[in-house]
Amino acid sequence: MVSIISPLKKNIKTILIIISLLVLEAYFTLQLPEYTSNIVDIGVANGDIAYIYSAGTTMIMLTILAIITGILVSFFSCKVASEYSQNLRILIFSKVLKFSNHEFNNISKGTLITRTTNDVSYIQMILEWVFDVIILAPIMTIGGVIKTIQLGTNLYWIILMILIIIIFFMYLLLKKTIPYLVILDKMPDIKGMVREIITGMDVIKTFVREDYESKKFKETNDKYKEGRDSIRRYILFLNPLMTLHSSIMIVSILFFGSFQIESGTILTGDLIAFIQYATQIVSSILIIISFAKSLPDLVLPIKRVKQVLDTELSIVDGEIGTIDERKSTIEFKNVSFKYSKSETDALTNINFKLEPGKTVAIIGGIGSGKSTILNLIPRFQDPSAGEILINGENIKNLKLKTLRERISLSPQNPCIFKGTVKSNMTLSDPNASDENIRYALEKANANFIGSLDDEVLIEGSNFSGGQKQCLSIARSILKDADFYLFDDSFSSFDLNTEKIIKNNLKELKDSSILIASQKISTIKDADEILVLDDGQIVNSGSHNKLVESCEIYREIVKSQSDTLNEGI
Amino acid sequence: MNPQENKMGLGKIIKTVWKLMRIHRTKFIFSGFCAILSILCSVITPIILGDAINILLDGSLRIMNHTGTIDFPKLFYILFIIGTLYFLKNIFSYLYEYYTKRAASDIIYALRERMVNKVLSLPMDSVEGNHRGYLFSLFTVEFSLLNTAFISSFSKLTITLITIILTLSFMIIVNIWMAIIVVLVVLLTSGIISMLLKFSQRHYHKQIAIEADTIGQVEEIYVGQEVVRSFNYEEQALEEFIHNVKVWNNHEWKSRFFSSLNYQIMNFGNNLGFVLVAIFGGILVIQGTMSVGRILTFIEYLNNFEDPLQQITEMYPQLQGGIVAADRIFNFLETEEEENPSDKELKSFKDKIIFENVSFGYTEDKKIIDNFNLTVKKGEKIVIIGENGAGKTTLLKLLMRLYDIDSGKITIDGVNINEYDKHSLRSFIGMVLQESWLFSDTIEENIRYGNLESTYDEILTASKQANADAFIRKLPDKYKTILKEGGNNLSQGQKQLLTIARTIISQKEILVLDEATSNVDTRTELLIQEALDKLMENKTSFIVAHRLSTVRNADKIIVLGKGRIIEQGNHEELLAQKGYYYNTLKSQKNS
Repeated sequence: MVSIISPLKKNIKTILIIISLLVLEAYFTLQLPEYTSNIVDIGVANGDIAYIYSAGTTMIMLTILAIITGILVSFFSCKVASEYSQNLRILIFSKVLKFSNHEFNNISKGTLITRTTNDVSYIQMILEWVFDVIILAPIMTIGGVIKTIQLGTNLYWIILMILIIIIFFMYLLLKKTIPYLVILDKMPDIKGMVREIITGMDVIKTFVREDYESKKFKETNDKYKEGRDSIRRYILFLNPLMTLHSSIMIVSILFFGSFQIESGTILTGDLIAFIQYATQIVSSILIIISFAKSLPDLVLPIKRVKQVLDTELSIVDGEIGTIDERKSTIEFKNVSFKYSKSETDALTNINFKLEPGKTVAIIGGIGSGKSTILNLIPRFQDPSAGEILINGENIKNLKLKTLRERISLSPQNPCIFKGTVKSNMTLSDPNASDENIRYALEKANANFIGSLDDEVLIEGSNFSGGQKQCLSIARSILKDADFYLFDDSFSSFDLNTEKIIKNNLKELKDSSILIASQKISTIKDADEILVLDDGQIVNSGSHNKLVESCEIYREIVKSQSDTLNEGI
Repeated sequence: MNPQENKMGLGKIIKTVWKLMRIHRTKFIFSGFCAILSILCSVITPIILGDAINILLDGSLRIMNHTGTIDFPKLFYILFIIGTLYFLKNIFSYLYEYYTKRAASDIIYALRERMVNKVLSLPMDSVEGNHRGYLFSLFTVEFSLLNTAFISSFSKLTITLITIILTLSFMIIVNIWMAIIVVLVVLLTSGIISMLLKFSQRHYHKQIAIEADTIGQVEEIYVGQEVVRSFNYEEQALEEFIHNVKVWNNHEWKSRFFSSLNYQIMNFGNNLGFVLVAIFGGILVIQGTMSVGRILTFIEYLNNFEDPLQQITEMYPQLQGGIVAADRIFNFLETEEEENPSDKELKSFKDKIIFENVSFGYTEDKKIIDNFNLTVKKGEKIVIIGENGAGKTTLLKLLMRLYDIDSGKITIDGVNINEYDKHSLRSFIGMVLQESWLFSDTIEENIRYGNLESTYDEILTASKQANADAFIRKLPDKYKTILKEGGNNLSQGQKQLLTIARTIISQKEILVLDEATSNVDTRTELLIQEALDKLMENKTSFIVAHRLSTVRNADKIIVLGKGRIIEQGNHEELLAQKGYYYNTLKSQKNS
């Protein structure tokens, strides 16, 4: 298992360098107030300009050293953090590539995208912050404390008091805002409302509900405003708290310090230095507090990324790397499938065989389990009971790569990628010649293609649904496979186009074809039709046989013969 | 109204913002007053603090020379004043922040309300297709940019400017030479920072570009994971990803490094200023032109001066983003609204609807409806069939005046529909479209949308007629079930049944229906069919039909092709014509 910290291990040396540089930076910075104190107590008190000059020069040197170390810290920490995020992204991405449907059901694709991109950026930001500021803060605190002890006053209790006051009031204020945050959290989502209005304009207009929508929006909008205003009323009190140390603390130090000066414990310059140190200590601790305060927010992206990396893969790769026979068969034996969170089977006791040169079709309504069956073959998910055999060998024993080499899938969602027509085609066969590609496109009736270098926009958005299905089918028949799986791939075609493409599929004569569809016209000439209802094969056979013997099939035929199939 | 619209220019933006602010004049003036008072307090404090140090020094000198001690009464008096100033400062700054932010957020929220009302009053062609994404981004991206720029940056900017002016004047009054030193240090650091900004910006823009590409790739691969896996494409995908991420990383760390230098340079400026103030202050003290306490005064001023400058550098990109966003939003608020000049009400529909030489196109160069003629008598069922893109749905939308026709006329009982108030016309017509739009609220409220005055019992009756009652009762919260994300917790068919119930309860005279049921299983399809039949009883209806039974029972079938009527008549008449209709039916039988 790969942990979320592992990409940092490579940079352990750099991190050590960063920490030592931070110590140096703190050291240089903490020297300065001492020199100020000396300038006042020695230089000014004795009127010694030469001393002031020499002390001043040392101070400038220290400042320059501090900035050099500071720049180096930034350099290394930016590099480390950015490299870390790069490696973390690669880890996540390659992990997701190994995911199967089971994992995708647990972590949705949408959040996976966020986890790979935004969440990692967030973690990176935290890391930079930690290196640049958070590690420095405790060093400065400790250094500051040591320095104040050296000054020989016992005024630290003032610092402590100030800190207690700040933390106490901060806690009080934040507690006050919680109820408002809870209310805001429960309110309807404004963006969702806007989206609804924009997408539903035609309905809104036909029901003449413009005023109703406007009023509804105003109510929510006003509530949000009120909520924010109430929170602001409290949050704004944080400002005086955060500056308490630069005013009230100084006043207190001067007040109590004056007695010590009178008794001769310290000099005025020392008191000035003490003020500087005290300010540094408190502001460092405030940084640590504000970091701690935002920790709950910071943990969330870390948890989300960790969940991806810690996911156990449900599909285990097999051992066998070759399939001997050229003409393979696949057999489903008592296959059942259940989604992990569900109580009932999505598929029950499925039995059928895919043989070379034969076409098997599955017909059934939405949610009857057609896609589930197809997804079992390339092992996008594994059956919960029963087995799937390829030439008598359980497909679980095969290497995934070997198994999938024999399968060509045309999924329900055509999945056309950004690039060119050619780059989409070579996805299924990297070595395909232009000629082969053109041939496959022709067979899939993709007559809308100008050149193979035609641009394809993201998600194939410059093509219609039907065109994307053509491209997807072309891509799948370009691959030389034993099994061609078409998952509702003909749904957007009119009768004529469907007929042409299906006729062309006959050229895949040595292979077996499995078509899942809701349309009778797509499947009626298959060698065997499986009628799927609620995850079970209720009947199977040829079209003619089923029309005679299967009630459900007849129902479907009746309903669809009432559908007007216009040209599309 | 698209993303590349003409720019308003900064002047006009400022004018518009000014207009918005004028409404809250009193709040802004009051808070401006508070801001000045609060900053005055914080500018006076360092001087008095310096005096306190002077008293201490004088006192310790006297102690050393055994001539006396610290002037405690004076010291305590001064410390008391400092404490008081601190409280006053914070009270004023609280008032300032509270009232500016409140006024600013009043403006911003009112603006959002105006934006929604604008959307609601736009003509249909400005809210469809490509426009949707743009509109939505106005409410999300642009709005949040404007929000930060206006609410937080605006108040910071004002306070910063006042701070700089006041601090500078006080420094000059106290000691001009020391003031010059502080200003020089500050100018030096801000000069260096603005130079560095260019470097980091250059890499930042490149990083943003490659970042977008990479996110695009990730999206595609995750969404298309079935294809990726089934074609064993994982390795290549990973390779491409690694390449992208490396380029991304390369620009990113450079841009971050250069911008993190800001902080370092600031720090340097602070320390350098600190040292210079200490040295020159020391010399001035020895020369006797300045007291020791003033050194502390100037160290404080240095901080007062650098902090706001640092904030300005941070705010600059925010403000820039805000201006771009304001430009888009203000421009959007000026787009043309749907015209509805007439207030003549459509009171009844008695006789017939006539389409006379109607032509229409979404763009000027492409006609969707071309010289269309049709007469419909009250109570008739008109079925429209034809290929996709033939203009079927468009025709229905023209009748509702969701779009206005380019030429010809549509009349109801002899009166051109353009003469009526659009709202009253639409109140006469009910529509059920293929995409069922529902909103995130209870099922009950969604049905009530058709008639806001309807009682629970009426809703029940309507949903029974629409065959929706049965499935609603099976839901755990029944009619109180909340539809998530516009009904994503329902099936396509169930959503359609709800929209039918909604239309039944609205009791419209004329109906416009889209019968497409492609994503619905056979049984639900029958339910929908029944519900639609009930809806259409005794109504005049226009149906984009997909079922032969509907077509057969129609009073008139219109076959549309490229916006023109190819054939019309009832089922028997059309079969006899042996044209498109006849052939479609025949080919279907043969397949």
